[in-house]
Amino acid sequence: MFATSLAIRRRILGTGALVAGIFGFIATLLPIDSIALPLFARQTGQNCVSCHAGGQFPELTPYGRKFKLTGYTMGERATVPLALMGVVSSTRIDNTSTGVASTDFPSNGKLEFTTMSVLCCGKITDNLGVFAQWTYDVYDHQNDQNRWVALPHIDQFDMRYADRFIDANRDLIFGVSLNNNPTVSDVWNTHNNAFTPVPTYVPAANSVATYAGAVPMDVAAPYLEGEGQMAGGLTAYAFLNNSIYAEIGFYRNVRGALSFMNASHYDAIGYPSKMQGSNPYWRLAYNKDWGANSAMIGLHGMNADVYSDPTNTGSSIVKFRDVGIDGQYQYILDPHVVTAMFSYTHEKQSYPTDQLGILADNASNKLDYLRLKGTYVYQAKYGAALAYTSAKGSNDPTLWGSVSGVTDSRLWAPEVFWMPVQYVRVGLQYYKWTQFNGAKTNYDGNGRNASDNNSLFFYVWGAY
Amino acid sequence: MQRISVTLVMALAVFGAACTNLERSRDLANPAIPPAVTAVQVCSNCHGVDGNSVSPNFPRLAGQQEAYIVAQLENFRSHNRSDPAGYEYMWGIARHLTDDQIKGLGEYYSKQIPKPIGQVDAKQLALGKQIFEQGVPDKETAPCMACHGPDAAGLATFPRLAWQHQDYLLKQLHVFQDTEGRPGTPMKQITHLLTHQEMESVAGYLQAFPMSVGK
Ligand code: HEC
Ligand code: HEC
Repeated sequence: MFATSLAIRRRILGTGALVAGIFGFIATLLPIDSIALPLFARQTGQNCVSCHAGGQFPELTPYGRKFKLTGYTMGERATVPLALMGVVSSTRIDNTSTGVASTDFPSNGKLEFTTMSVLCCGKITDNLGVFAQWTYDVYDHQNDQNRWVALPHIDQFDMRYADRFIDANRDLIFGVSLNNNPTVSDVWNTHNNAFTPVPTYVPAANSVATYAGAVPMDVAAPYLEGEGQMAGGLTAYAFLNNSIYAEIGFYRNVRGALSFMNASHYDAIGYPSKMQGSNPYWRLAYNKDWGANSAMIGLHGMNADVYSDPTNTGSSIVKFRDVGIDGQYQYILDPHVVTAMFSYTHEKQSYPTDQLGILADNASNKLDYLRLKGTYVYQAKYGAALAYTSAKGSNDPTLWGSVSGVTDSRLWAPEVFWMPVQYVRVGLQYYKWTQFNGAKTNYDGNGRNASDNNSLFFYVWGAY
Repeated sequence: MQRISVTLVMALAVFGAACTNLERSRDLANPAIPPAVTAVQVCSNCHGVDGNSVSPNFPRLAGQQEAYIVAQLENFRSHNRSDPAGYEYMWGIARHLTDDQIKGLGEYYSKQIPKPIGQVDAKQLALGKQIFEQGVPDKETAPCMACHGPDAAGLATFPRLAWQHQDYLLKQLHVFQDTEGRPGTPMKQITHLLTHQEMESVAGYLQAFPMSVGK
């Protein structure tokens, strides 16, 4: 255990030097007044609050949504289209002892450098723009000696071509997006998993906690939410008169020139899933702005046909059918920002007969996934949030691997945060599990209770 | 699909790199973009296509005096107007606009037709009307209409105030009163002894400015 943490520490030092080097290099390239400005702010010359509600990344304001929909082309082209984002965090899980020493979480309660991202974003031409993120995860995955392996890999990628026809009588924005994650192209942060990290909608995904080995923090999620960086997609969208939004596209495995969109860690740990053919993703939404308010109600869905064995394209097919409803309300009037959002997705899973007893017991299963969140931000500086996530699945012991046979996880996550300057956010989050994988007590059959997974998460997020 | 997307990306890149789209560009640093294009492609996102912004975070520009719009855009560009919202939202927008573009934007918005917003509290209306027409003599506050006009439509660099968002007006009155964010105007003197309630009332009266008077 000591060796592990030493290795991690050495890795952190190495990474620190790398970060400092990159920072220094970029700093020499930039004129002084633009040094502390992340990309889009540099491109438009505007403060983060113009596009992010109350300055909270990543939630978008009505203006931020238009910025994204018009292909990141507003403003002027940056000379150096690079930015950095990093997270230092500490996670304290109530009970780390699982009885298996090698999988106990070694960094419990320690402040650690968790992730760093390099972003390359912005306007390319009057109609073409890109959002591309590479992330360096200190806790990317564990190797077969249970050591944590750090890896740089592509994160979100969204390149779009957009145009807009607007006059006094109509306003039509339309475009196409080439991206590597269903929902990354969406502009509301409701069902959008790319910008609403599990389990809460926060900027600093709790990657340490979610990868805490035998202390699982992830809940079962619909297929739509789990395809990031494993597939490529092309979607076409239109937003009419600031009210009706429609998007449809197809996702599939990519090879060759487009395989840069796949995260490299799957080459190390294997692809958890592989889709067959082209799989449709769709989204419809109705938006309305009045006074200082903006509201949206929408539907989303995806049909995915997935190989039962990701390494064998001759294997039988598991079908996922996701349909959901989501909505958002925002009130933005300086100095107050209030946001309430929800997303509910119902998933139907069908298993081929040759997989019964292997992947699942039932030929058909379902999963209901609900997320709620409310936030208040004052002066774009002080904020508080409360999020709730619940995932509930039909009874299938083989599928969920739970003692009770069902999956049923419920999580409350209150948070307070502070943004001393617009590119730094310091937050404290508490994850309270009232139910975990089907039970409140003894969910794993070894006496572990849902509340043993409760954790306190402290983070410092910064962008440069 | 594989081949289609590769071809598409390449086509987009070639097509996109080759042409600037002058009629529908959102570029803020290209002097060749006509102001009317910038107005609908960029400014409209906050101020509305016709200058009647929906959110009170953003001032209405419809029917605003051309000379005033020009002066304010110049003030944002020169950083002379430095109140927080001006700095956060407008400095970047204005930083590379040319004099000609600024003039064109002033013209575009001054020609738009202002629309009424809505009623406010009746008590505010009465007090607001009184301040607007008579000022507050014992606080050295001249009647607003002396400079902003009896129909609050403004003149040259005296801004139009009628049917402007109450929240925005109130915020500006506090900027004049409490800060140096908008220097060198008579408004500092005019607001310096007013109470929050007086400013709120006159701002309310202006938002709900009587239809028969406003144009
Ligand atoms: C992201 C939103 C946003 C965009 C886009 C935007 N503005 Fe503004 N604008 C604002 C805000 C907020 C203010 C209020 C600033 C303040 O309080 O100082 C403002 C103020 C102004 C003012 C001063 C109004 C007054 O009554 O004093 C003018 C003129 C103006 N904008 C013109 C423009 C023009 C022209 C464009 C397009 C080139 C534009 N704006 C684009 C947000 C925006
Ligand atoms: C002596 C002339 C004068 C008087 C009297 C006057 N104003 Fe002004 N006001 C101005 C000028 C000039 C400006 C433009 C300031 C600038 O250029 O920044 C202005 C700007 C404003 C603004 C900012 C508008 C905007 O769109 O940002 C508000 C609000 C305002 N005045 C309200 C009032 C009220 C309310 C009164 C009466 C209590 C009043 N004014 C009386 C000259 C006057």
